[in-house]
Amino acid sequence: MKINKVWKSTLAMGFALTLSGAAFAEGTFRYATVGEPPSLDQHVITSDLATTIAHHMFEGLYTFNASNAPVPLLAAGDSLEDGGKTIKIDLRKDVKFHNGQAMTSADVVASLNRWGEFGSRGGLLFSNVESLTASGDHQITIKLKAPFGPWKNLMAFINGGPAIYPASVMNGATKEPLDPKEYIGTGPYQFGEWLPNRHVELVRNDAYTSAAGAADGYGGERKAEFDALRFIPVSDVGTRVSGIRAGDYDYAESIPGDLFADLDGDANVTTILNGGPIFGLAFMNSKHGPLKENFKLRRAIQTAINKTPALQVAIGPEKLWAANGSFLPKGNVWHTEAGTANFSKGDAEAAKALAKEAGYAGDPIKVMVSTNYPFHYDTAIVYTKQLAQAGFNIDLQVYDWATLIKKRAQPDQWDIFFTHHGFVPDPILISVMNDNYPGWWATPEKAALKAKFTASADPEERKKIWSDIQALIYEQVPTMKTGDVYTYNIASPKVKGLGSSTLIWPAFWNVSK
Amino acid sequence: MLAYTLRRLIAFVPTLLAASALVFLFIHLIPGDPASILLGDTATPEEIAALNQQLGFNEPIYVQYFLWLGNVLQGDFGTSVFFRQPVLSVIADGAETSIWLATMTMCWIVVIGIPIGILSATRQGTWIDQVTSGFAMLFASIPTFWLGLYLILIFAVGLGWFPTSGFPSLSDDGGLWNLRYLLLPSLTLAAPNAALIVRLVRASMLDVQREDHVRTARAKGLSPSRVAIRHVFRNALIAVAAAFGFTFAALVSEAVVTETVFSLPGIGRLVVQSILRRDYPVIQGVILIIVVLYMVINLLVDLSYARLDPRVSLK
Amino acid sequence: MNIAQQIYRIFAGRILASIGFAVLIIVVLAAVFAPLLAPFDPLDIDPISRLQEPSLEHLFGTDQFGRDTYSRAIYGARMAVIIGAGSVAFALLTGGLIGMLSAYFSRLGSFLMRGVDVMMAFPALLLALVLMTLLERSVVNTIIVIGIVYAATTARILFGMTLKLKGGVFIDAAICSGAGHASILFRHILPNLLSPLLVQATFIFAFAQLQAAALDFLGLGLPPEVPSWGNMLAESRIYITRASWLLIFPGMLIIFSVFSMNLVGDALRDTMDPRFKDDIAGV
Repeated sequence: MKINKVWKSTLAMGFALTLSGAAFAEGTFRYATVGEPPSLDQHVITSDLATTIAHHMFEGLYTFNASNAPVPLLAAGDSLEDGGKTIKIDLRKDVKFHNGQAMTSADVVASLNRWGEFGSRGGLLFSNVESLTASGDHQITIKLKAPFGPWKNLMAFINGGPAIYPASVMNGATKEPLDPKEYIGTGPYQFGEWLPNRHVELVRNDAYTSAAGAADGYGGERKAEFDALRFIPVSDVGTRVSGIRAGDYDYAESIPGDLFADLDGDANVTTILNGGPIFGLAFMNSKHGPLKENFKLRRAIQTAINKTPALQVAIGPEKLWAANGSFLPKGNVWHTEAGTANFSKGDAEAAKALAKEAGYAGDPIKVMVSTNYPFHYDTAIVYTKQLAQAGFNIDLQVYDWATLIKKRAQPDQWDIFFTHHGFVPDPILISVMNDNYPGWWATPEKAALKAKFTASADPEERKKIWSDIQALIYEQVPTMKTGDVYTYNIASPKVKGLGSSTLIWPAFWNVSK
Repeated sequence: MLAYTLRRLIAFVPTLLAASALVFLFIHLIPGDPASILLGDTATPEEIAALNQQLGFNEPIYVQYFLWLGNVLQGDFGTSVFFRQPVLSVIADGAETSIWLATMTMCWIVVIGIPIGILSATRQGTWIDQVTSGFAMLFASIPTFWLGLYLILIFAVGLGWFPTSGFPSLSDDGGLWNLRYLLLPSLTLAAPNAALIVRLVRASMLDVQREDHVRTARAKGLSPSRVAIRHVFRNALIAVAAAFGFTFAALVSEAVVTETVFSLPGIGRLVVQSILRRDYPVIQGVILIIVVLYMVINLLVDLSYARLDPRVSLK
Repeated sequence: MNIAQQIYRIFAGRILASIGFAVLIIVVLAAVFAPLLAPFDPLDIDPISRLQEPSLEHLFGTDQFGRDTYSRAIYGARMAVIIGAGSVAFALLTGGLIGMLSAYFSRLGSFLMRGVDVMMAFPALLLALVLMTLLERSVVNTIIVIGIVYAATTARILFGMTLKLKGGVFIDAAICSGAGHASILFRHILPNLLSPLLVQATFIFAFAQLQAAALDFLGLGLPPEVPSWGNMLAESRIYITRASWLLIFPGMLIIFSVFSMNLVGDALRDTMDPRFKDDIAGV
């Protein structure tokens, strides 16, 4: 029991023998996080922090290699039949759960079913699934209603994705996140303990069997070098930086851009860029208020804003941001310039004229932003200023994040709100594509393009349709992209094997110190 | 005395009920709910409503309150929504840090505050008195987080003498040595409070000095230092004991800012985080316990007043 | 005796307190004449000139938005005075009234003071946290939240002092001469309490600054765009090594103004009616 701790520590005082003991074994990796994740259950939780921790212990059938292409992880291989409507996936036979049981198709079917019904992103795939069956001890068969292009990307994306749990854990599981007692996965690390406010600790899984092949992105060999990974909440960013400088932590996440030059030049610190950029989004209300269906007014707002100064203020060094209008970054297969001519005009006069045409008469526009994310707030401050210069009457409302989430679900409470989006491997996963996401963009034009987009399995055709969707986003402005932000983390130079950037979330298999 | 204690304990009940109902009402009025925090950005309103239903947060607020109250009376503080652990064990975890932090802070206050207070009082009006009183007041004027940030910068990052942040449990590797993690935080927290004690010791010693029995002792020809220690200080202790009680109670809860700066896993930060996460059962539990603690210390202070000072009668 | 003479009586021979008084006058003047004194608009964003070191153009440097820290500091003085005066007014009006009425009408008192007990039982900062999350971040709400905490203390203090006065001979005399309750309370009792109230006010003013800064630091105080010293510190704390001027100037301003207020309060207390000296602990 935890209550004993207090007494134990009192006892420790009696045995004042350990005064010289080192605080941590060398085999413990100490990661300073921004906070604590809501839960580590990957099916229902989409927090990036949760995945950073959890993808060391939960694995899916597929994962991404270094070029963001899906590769098998717990799967051994797959074949498409029936013109892409039937998917047969073979499972690896050497996989054991942390509780010692071998993984079979029953576990996979149970996990996929729960994900499909309750998982955050499961509905995207499962709304198109006719049946899911175990077609052998180590084979499953998925029958689709129609060919579905992004299936493998969805399976490989572990955040809010199909982690494989034992069937016994899935029994009766619902939308409610799993209890830590049920954190049983297949990964190189397994759940150790979660002390509220103190840390989440994972310990090495000695019985781990890795996927075949050399390490490539998240694919290939995974080797746990540490005895334990300890994720310690250090909410104050200054304290995280100090902690790395002083050697109290090995790794710290989410460091402000303005400190980049200093830290990059500091011999006691290594900087690690995050590969996939995150991007800020300012959603507009399609259901209620002055912006509803008034696309011209929305374009006026879009025209008024020059995104670059906001990025300069919010992020800092030019290496860490890109005023890029394409929803996916340069170099990515989904990159397209469609519509981006309107990304960052910053033309107050043109905006005024457009707003006048749109019938805008100076009604207040309610903008919600949270200070929990400083870069949202900094961006909002700069935009508010620019919009005011273009004659808009902006009512900036600042809330804590939980309040903002609550308010944005109520259409009459806001006109624009700020959020951000993590890097995703398939545009279908971008929140604005979801008709139910606050903002509620669901015009007939969008519906038509979206239907075409998911039905196609041809990569070239899908790219073409995506560029049409992006152009539509710049025309109807359900949301404004604020630009790409390359976040970075810092580490102690003693840590080996990190590479100069992460793929999506930092991973600590094949890493040592 | 026993009857008095009993009466006071009974009087706790309405205060506690009012306080807990007030907290309950306040935190449920805050917009936002646990389910939307748990499920994050992609959850639909239907999913959030369903999970809140499952967790029991859709009941009318008075129903929730009486359910909670009933359970608390049976010793069940409920389960943390966020940690999926019993509230009491979450609180116990934070209590270790808070209690050690408060204890170390009290040590600093005693070691620094009382001697300086005596010095200041026995040299009343001299430059020593002026300087010490001035410094005490200066320290009471520094925002704690500002002091903490600079202590980290100088002593942890610059000189590397102490860890920057965190506090591993004493039952963890390192044992008692882990208390070094609390050195800078306790100094940060002690600064304004030590100043308070310095002034209190000084003031109460000066008051007592004017009283008859001290004058008599002086007249008897006792040396000034003996008078200072035997008579004046002993009596001044009464006032100081009271201040200690309150300061300790305040330390456990008011350490929020210090705990945030140093990333300590204490009760204060638990409350702040729980408010941000809308983890209702934890907020209610912590505040209830702190209020009880405060009232008990209040009572103990009054009782010790009566013990130390026969002029005080308990009515 | 006129005001100047009173001030002379209080501060003569007290060098530190006199300096403190002078500092406070400067802060108040800065607050009143902020628009004239500030060389720049405190809200004006200029991404090109962000994080500049102190120079002749920007005396205190610029912050991460490129705003002039000196101008923000001057407007910060205005916020400090508003928050301080507001909290004092709230605490003294509500707390003072509750305390006096409770002591004077004992039946009402047993009820009201129980309420004060409930408020006192909440740890001050935790109460402020819960309330600030519930209310929106604004100047008025910050004042109320800080004021509530000190209203309870003030009620306790005035309760005690009014009780002492109530038994006094001059009150009996007033009652005999047929004075009404209101007249006794406000014409006979209140004037005797003015000087202790003034001392209490200075301490509340000083504490309110620290409390507001702590709330700003936790992200639950004034709206973040308001230029206050606490917000300046809270927003810039990550720049402690990168742009140290952003923490040093506002920090020093808070320390000096709170210190000055405490010095003045201390001097006032020394010259106050000895009957009430024990009632106000101050720092």
